[in-house]
Amino acid sequence: MTKKRERLEVIFDILKDISEHHNSIKPTPLLRRSGLSSNSFSEYYKELISKEFIREIVDEHGKKYVTLSDKGFTFLEKYKLIIGFIGEFEL
Amino acid sequence: MPPHFFDLHILIIEPIFTLVTVIFCFLIYFKTKESYDLTRYKGIGYFRDAFLFFGLSYVLRFVFSLVFFSTIVFDLIPSREIFSPFFIFLLGYFSTMGIFYLIFSLVWKKFNNRNMLIFGHSIAVLLSVISFITRSHMMIIYLQCILLVIAVVLSFVMHMGRKKLSKTKLLYLLVAGLWLINLLVIDRRKPFSSGLDIFFEAVSLAVFAVIYHKILKWIK
Repeated sequence: MTKKRERLEVIFDILKDISEHHNSIKPTPLLRRSGLSSNSFSEYYKELISKEFIREIVDEHGKKYVTLSDKGFTFLEKYKLIIGFIGEFEL
Repeated sequence: MPPHFFDLHILIIEPIFTLVTVIFCFLIYFKTKESYDLTRYKGIGYFRDAFLFFGLSYVLRFVFSLVFFSTIVFDLIPSREIFSPFFIFLLGYFSTMGIFYLIFSLVWKKFNNRNMLIFGHSIAVLLSVISFITRSHMMIIYLQCILLVIAVVLSFVMHMGRKKLSKTKLLYLLVAGLWLINLLVIDRRKPFSSGLDIFFEAVSLAVFAVIYHKILKWIK
């Protein structure tokens, strides 16, 4: 059985998916790639917007895209170190 | 015999020890701020709060020992009788919360965090009130010793059959244990010599330095 992902790991995976799509992806493929239920994804999505990790952009055709903010990039950059810190101190 | 006006330990070694300890505690607190702001991870939050409370406790401990010392040197026993209980109350509360937050940082995933915090604050207030009423910082030491023994026993029971005491838990145990010894040091009837005071203070600094060094490995 696969281990349930920790909250931080889920956030990292979502942000990494956006980054790997040239920092622009539509919400529906992002939901598919996240492997979460739509309810759960919706909660994470709202949290990431409210914490300003991601931004929604609407193009000239009215299509919605998701991009990373500077804070989102910082999270991706620091994630491995923070996880190392959490592991080191058994937090 | 009252202490001499120029007590090397209280006037030179204590301020330096307190200053360096408080600097380490606050460096740990501020160094981990960005990680906490980015993740809002509760374990990091409790860890930071533990060192914030320990920093404040060491400041209070120093002020308390200074008041204790100066009232004896200048024969101001009545004013010591008035101020001591308040210092003891704050000292008891901050240091108990420091110990609790260290424990919380290890066990927060296993308990309801709201209940855990209410429990911690209630015990800290209760302990402070008892110390305030008895007007004795020794009461803080006795009660925190009991808390620490319960925490260690619980930790062994919860991790029974798994790996032995980890280096991190040993460090946490040292932080809490050395706090109690350093609190004992401010009593003039302490059971050990001045040389041992300095030894324990040096070990405390080494423990804080090791923790800070470990943090720097991950958080630049």
